[in-house]
Amino acid sequence: MRRTGTPSWLSVRRGEPTLGSDHDDFVVKPPPPARVWAVGGGKGGIGKSFLVANLATVAARSGKRVILIDADLGGANLHTCLGVRAGERVSLSDYFEDRVLELDKVAIETPVPGLRLILGALGHTGKAETTAEQRTQLLRAVRKLPADLVIFDLAAGTDRSTIDFFLEADEGFVVTTPEPTAIENAYAFLRAAFYRQLAHELADSSARDVIRLSMDQRNERGIRTPADLMAEIDRLDPAEGQRFRRLIEGFHPHLVVNQVRDTEEVKMGFSIRSVCKKYFGIDVDYAGYICFDDNVWRSVKERRPLVLAYPSSDGALYIRRIVKKLLGT
Amino acid sequence: MRALAEQNYYELIEASPDGSPQQIERAYRIARSAYLPSSAATYSLYSSEECAAILRRIEEAYAVLSDARLRREYDARLGRAPAPTPASVEPARTKRVVPARSEPARAPEPDLARRPSGERRGLPPPPPLVGRRAAAEFDLENSFAPDNGVFDGEVLRRIRVSLGIELEEISSITKINDQHLRSIESNQYEVLPAPVYLRGFLKQIAKCLSLDPGQVADSYTHRMRETATGGA
Repeated sequence: MRRTGTPSWLSVRRGEPTLGSDHDDFVVKPPPPARVWAVGGGKGGIGKSFLVANLATVAARSGKRVILIDADLGGANLHTCLGVRAGERVSLSDYFEDRVLELDKVAIETPVPGLRLILGALGHTGKAETTAEQRTQLLRAVRKLPADLVIFDLAAGTDRSTIDFFLEADEGFVVTTPEPTAIENAYAFLRAAFYRQLAHELADSSARDVIRLSMDQRNERGIRTPADLMAEIDRLDPAEGQRFRRLIEGFHPHLVVNQVRDTEEVKMGFSIRSVCKKYFGIDVDYAGYICFDDNVWRSVKERRPLVLAYPSSDGALYIRRIVKKLLGT
Repeated sequence: MRALAEQNYYELIEASPDGSPQQIERAYRIARSAYLPSSAATYSLYSSEECAAILRRIEEAYAVLSDARLRREYDARLGRAPAPTPASVEPARTKRVVPARSEPARAPEPDLARRPSGERRGLPPPPPLVGRRAAAEFDLENSFAPDNGVFDGEVLRRIRVSLGIELEEISSITKINDQHLRSIESNQYEVLPAPVYLRGFLKQIAKCLSLDPGQVADSYTHRMRETATGGA
């Protein structure tokens, strides 16, 4: 087995009580587990890594201990957004292949104080997707990281790794741009996440067959939307219908629209939220939008987070507002 | 989660049943824009026929909810207390649409449902909301409250944009000239109307954005005076 030595959560943090006047006072409390966010969106090139780097920078500068995980294993480039050279440095592959035994030891420093990064390259395995065992192992370790916030930068697409990381997070973000292609992929992403969660949570259910059937959009029973599926489950087993409703009510992804150019495109976020409610029955939180801003590509070219390179730009302002809203910082 | 055909008018346009006329108007505009043929938000999920059918129901909902008398009658059919009048509107704290208790009432009087849209634009004056935003169901804009409490033109513009409101819509509701609105948002103090008119304009804009009219007018004009005297 890989784990040896003292678990990282047992390490005594600075400023915490250690030994008191007698042994009764010796209480080592594990720190609260790190909050986990995951940022996905279905389509590539819509600014997921850009958003992650900037959200994390703002959070770190507000005093949070932040660790980023580049889970885009086939095309990891979050490090570049932060001005970190990957080179031959440790990465997730070292952790998965037992060359580094603690996940915390894979997190490398970035130029931003308080912000560390776990590189996503799976160099030696050459794989772009993790196994179920690796995902479980990683997710357990993530909760024990000495951090206040861990953010997954997810790959494009809807493969199992991506969706599982998204579903395991405390807060899931779906990024899109106002273009039809990105919006279509965002819906596909939400649909994949929702059905995967449903299949998992209702695996023992009498409705599992109809759920499996409904995952094929062209199924013979004509189940197209979650509303259709719920009606079908209600018909088969009303108690399962109630479970289904509770699952839907507990699924609250956040939406961020990137590269917004005008008021009409700001409204697109509201429209997507409305459609998610009507079509999927999902309450999406429109967390915010980021205006199209020349400073964004300048900051990417300079390999510096926008919020540091151009702190007074529109984009930086909007990113700070999103973090403020979600972290209350 | 209810099928579209079973949703009541408030659910259809995603407005709070306690929403002010202005909030109903805004919810309608947002709901409508999602299902227009040009909308990128729907094309991959709904056919154009489905969008058209949803749009018809949204228009039907708006025809009733934007008319005070019809809305009262509709609320009564839903088994609800009448919606608050503008004078009694309190900042709403509800975050989500509250489903109606009874089955949705359907099919308003056909003649009213078919009124030309121009007739429906004759909105009552913006309700005098006090304090922070009342449209809590659209809380994105809450994050744009100025940290320093100063409402200058740029802050007003950001809040307006975050609400998805075009300048022309504010002009159409308040009857303030487009050019004045642009000048206010770009802090072009030298071309603004006389202070007494400016305060009135600012209060109307604030009402459209559900901000505190007095606070906005005081803050903006204070900043303007500071600039004129070379202050901060």
